[in-house]
Amino acid sequence: MNRERLQSNRNQFEPLLRVSGLGKQYVQRRAFSRQKIAVNAFQDISFAIFPGKTLALVGESGAGKSSLARCIALLERPSAGGIELAGQNLLALNTKQLFPMRREVQLIFQDPSSALNPRLTACEIIAEPLLIQGEGAKSQRRARALQLMDQVGLDPAWERKAPLEFSGGQRQRLAIARALALGPRLLILDEALSNLDAANQALILKLLAELQAAHSLSFLHISHDLRLVSEFADDVAVMYQGRIVEAKSTRKLFASPEHYYTKELLASVRSVESILLERSA
Amino acid sequence: MTHRQKLAWSTAVLAAFSCVILFAGFFAPYDFAEQDRDAPFAAPTAIHFVDARGTLHLRPFVYGPRDSGPTTAIAAADLQQFYPLHWFVRGAPYKIAGLITSRVHLFGVETPARLFLMGSDAYGRDQFSRFLYGGQISLLAGLIAAILSVSIGILAGGIAGYYGGWLDGLLMRGGELFLALPWLYLLFAVRAALPLHISQWQVFLLLISVMGLIGWARPARLIRGVVLSAKERNFVLAAHGFGASDAYLLRRHVLPQTYAVLLTQITLLVPQYVLAEVTLTFLGLGVGEPMPSWGALLTSLQQYSVLSTYWWMFLPALLLIPLFVVFNAAADALQELHKSVPL
Amino acid sequence: MRYFVRRLLHSILLLLGVSIFSFAILQLAPGDFFTPLSLNPQISAQTVATLRSQYGLDKPFPIRYEHWLHSVFRGDLGVSFAYGTPVAPLLAVRARNTLLLTATSLLLAWLLAMPFGVWSASRRGKWSDRAGGIATSSLLTVPDLVLFLALLLLAVRTGWFPTGGMMSAGFDDLSISGKVEDLGAHLFLPVVGLVLATLPPLVRHIRSAMIEVLEAPFVRAARAHGIPEHRVLLRYALPVAANPLITLFGYSIAGMLSASLLVEVVLSWPGVGPLLVDAILAKDVYVVVGAVMLSSVFLVVGNLVADALLVATDPRIRTQQIN
Repeated sequence: MNRERLQSNRNQFEPLLRVSGLGKQYVQRRAFSRQKIAVNAFQDISFAIFPGKTLALVGESGAGKSSLARCIALLERPSAGGIELAGQNLLALNTKQLFPMRREVQLIFQDPSSALNPRLTACEIIAEPLLIQGEGAKSQRRARALQLMDQVGLDPAWERKAPLEFSGGQRQRLAIARALALGPRLLILDEALSNLDAANQALILKLLAELQAAHSLSFLHISHDLRLVSEFADDVAVMYQGRIVEAKSTRKLFASPEHYYTKELLASVRSVESILLERSA
Repeated sequence: MTHRQKLAWSTAVLAAFSCVILFAGFFAPYDFAEQDRDAPFAAPTAIHFVDARGTLHLRPFVYGPRDSGPTTAIAAADLQQFYPLHWFVRGAPYKIAGLITSRVHLFGVETPARLFLMGSDAYGRDQFSRFLYGGQISLLAGLIAAILSVSIGILAGGIAGYYGGWLDGLLMRGGELFLALPWLYLLFAVRAALPLHISQWQVFLLLISVMGLIGWARPARLIRGVVLSAKERNFVLAAHGFGASDAYLLRRHVLPQTYAVLLTQITLLVPQYVLAEVTLTFLGLGVGEPMPSWGALLTSLQQYSVLSTYWWMFLPALLLIPLFVVFNAAADALQELHKSVPL
Repeated sequence: MRYFVRRLLHSILLLLGVSIFSFAILQLAPGDFFTPLSLNPQISAQTVATLRSQYGLDKPFPIRYEHWLHSVFRGDLGVSFAYGTPVAPLLAVRARNTLLLTATSLLLAWLLAMPFGVWSASRRGKWSDRAGGIATSSLLTVPDLVLFLALLLLAVRTGWFPTGGMMSAGFDDLSISGKVEDLGAHLFLPVVGLVLATLPPLVRHIRSAMIEVLEAPFVRAARAHGIPEHRVLLRYALPVAANPLITLFGYSIAGMLSASLLVEVVLSWPGVGPLLVDAILAKDVYVVVGAVMLSSVFLVVGNLVADALLVATDPRIRTQQIN
């Protein structure tokens, strides 16, 4: 397989992804008038993710998190700011130059059912990235797809099944397998666990941890559930009304939160836990 | 019955009908232009199993030429002479699909007897044979025009829905123009533009093109809707994330979502276009003599004398009804099935 | 108000587009009205050429279109070659007849379809609705042409109705009531035909529009409050269904015009339809353009009326404008 990779950066102290001052505005025209309204999805977002580490981005729904995810995954263009991947300024590249870059960052959606084409088979879905990027012949792609299915804990014998025939948790595994096909270094999980039940959440988290260890993957885990991501993340950034209000390592955040919104989030997490504790006592 | 069953039987009936029409030469006892000046406006020939003496014959038969005619007073002498129905007879030559010539017809009677299953017209031409041959023209016209309309619809609707912006606005305004006009008037106006005395084939092709070109707006609008919603689906976004080109996304992910709509549209449009062709020909603006389009079969009904005396000339019109019933049943079933498929 | 002016401008542009379109299409035709004359060996080519230039048929397309536009403002819409008179008065008479036919049929069709559609929607799923649905579908599948021919057959066979025309000979000698009766007798079959042709799709659309409204939560809430069904239907559901129904009204005008063409030809009603068909066969260009434009004007006016009604009845549109 021929691949053009950018300078492989094994230096753990250089960030894999650096986002600086990122912002996105949506401009709308009111019906029947010439007035334009600008709505800020998010503004002035800056953070860095290091190789093999997980950053959790926490905030309430509608805070612009999905929009941010799509910008970093190069599915949308931000209105301001910069994105650097291993030192490369991604926003300066044209479409052709961007093509090989797409292998490095992949996005996992919240709802796996909408993210998988119901008319394709599991094997076709997983192999699709390889097909688009022109990697290998059909048989090679199939082999790799089967390999990936095994890696995420799906039975390779199910390669010809349609997404409908898989359960919710299994569909998300399919989506993960597809995202891994091109060997990315950063995976963005856009509320990827929110639609799953608690048991499945735990299983998928376990899978992600294994994958991270095996391939030195970085994760940007976006969620509204602070408790969920805190088990897994090295650092946490709290988003409130389109801005990052606090960003620390997980331990420090839980130990000494500063912003009042962070404190509220933590309080609600703790209150659930304390209720559960009281009940069991 | 379930929608699937409804779709199954309606498709089967349509397929059978199309088969008969396709092999019109085989199923029709006579050629569509074959005239019998001795038997103008003959009533449908009666087929008998029991003769005047009360004997039962296993093979059905008809009486001699004078058995046909509006006043069937058959002389006693004529009742002696009967002509049995034969199967797989040799008759007038015809071409299958324009290539293979054959002389075999499914059934027929020996001359001078005539087997007019649906009666004959002013020139003594067998209406049944003309009906079958006419199907080739009218159904084919309807089918090709429908496919043309839908094809333009995919192009316009696909581009408008996928790229949006000013292209979308332009295409939809254009479509509005076509939708806003009473289509029959438009069709007539365009037909007026065409020369009246050109070869039949040219008329046929021009007619199809015109009908197809006028009716693209509604399919386009529907397809645009499907494309608009399809392109926002996350799996399209995901493929885009792998670096897929627009062409790939359209081909692999977006357009396949439109197949259901396409099929339903075609099924709805074909009867409409068949009817349009029949109407145009009926008014003298379509494929004319001697081509036996269904509209041409009905032209003589414009004369009151024909309309009131020769009732069998109305039969081709009545036969259109069950055909349309089947088409509509198929379209209904398709629409219901399409609704229940989760996108 | 601004909304209305915009719609008006939009409609004028639409009509302009239609006129250019139909004019352009007709120019594509090889040959013209005088071609049959030129085929006649007894008429010299000179005469034909003179005739052609007299009627301006030898000028290029843009000039002819410009002349035609002038004729629109002048009021005569060009000249009919077949009749030798200006097109406008010819069309006016025919238009009046077509208007009489279509307006009556439109009114009647809606008067019949509304109660039936609403009632079907309220009895959805019950056998009465199903029976009505079957009746509607059956009528729907009968092609218009067959329907009109059947009516003609009825007239010819029974002699109960006149088989064509708008007035009997000696119409002018009749008293007022006699005139009305005579007109009515002639109008009866075409109206019946047109109504039967346009009724089924109308009933279907009304029914589905009502069903959609009846499934809305606010209707369910009204029922839960104990409001009697007929009040729910008339005072709650119907006003909301008015929006799609008025839009439907606009579309039904288009369908009505198309169907009226055929009924006029088959049942010999002296409207725009037969005029158009004859003009096409004779390549009487300005008549054809005039007739197509006329039908488009009917349509556009009908839709504008529908829009006005919409603005008047739907408060959501009014608030949109205010913002």
